Amino acid sequence: MIYKLFQAIDQTLGIQQAKAHCDVPCGIYDPIVAQISALTVVRMIDLMTDLEGKGGEKNKEYFNSMARYVAVKEEHAEKAKAEIRVIWGDFLKAQHLEKHPDTHALVHKIMQLGSKSRQAVDREAAVQFVEAINEFAQIFWEAKGVATKRAKAPYAPALELVYPAL
Amino acid sequence: MLRLLKVTGNSLTPRFQTGDFVIVSKIPFFFAPVKAGDVVAFHQPGYGTLIKLVESLDPVSGELTVTGTQPESVDSRVFGPVKKSALLGKVIWHVAKPR
Repeated sequence: MIYKLFQAIDQTLGIQQAKAHCDVPCGIYDPIVAQISALTVVRMIDLMTDLEGKGGEKNKEYFNSMARYVAVKEEHAEKAKAEIRVIWGDFLKAQHLEKHPDTHALVHKIMQLGSKSRQAVDREAAVQFVEAINEFAQIFWEAKGVATKRAKAPYAPALELVYPAL
Repeated sequence: MLRLLKVTGNSLTPRFQTGDFVIVSKIPFFFAPVKAGDVVAFHQPGYGTLIKLVESLDPVSGELTVTGTQPESVDSRVFGPVKKSALLGKVIWHVAKPR
């Protein structure tokens, strides 16, 4: 009754709008980009180690390949950090953080591991980077109400990733 | 003193949805200051009239941090704190669209 009255006023006089504004498009977030980027960092370290292990002359071909591996490692470590920052800053809300109070510390850990992965050729740190992002993915999917599973990535390096169990 | 507004957008769902009507007023602020948990309407430059949930109040500047109930809400994370002078009022009556 009251709603119909207000609706009639709106239709005849027009009522000012109060926008409960959202980003457009709404809700397209997925930690998989960060996970794959972190995995790429590990893969680049493996390729660098393989190339070095082959021995032989340190010629321009060698330096070209090594430079490309380093560039991709740099790019993907930064990409993973950026993706996590977006989900952390834009998607996660107070109620999610209340449920997972260690999230801020986890994100800080991811940022530091990402930086370490750029600065050094440290496979252990890169694997920890993947695992910390997996932990973040677990929190993200739980916030979305989606169950998860762990499975080995179907490509090298075949490390375990957290996937939504759809 | 009273202002009738029509809600559009999804940032406060499921509590407030597109098509709902609200009456906002500054009268409650004469009796109690705005506080976390209040739903308020305010003018935000570049966005127009917005309706959001008050998350916190800066005790020094008196500025409000506003939020939505949806992750994609455009709120103080995007446009920063809201000055008290921008407030149009607190929601004192909510008439939900029949669903």
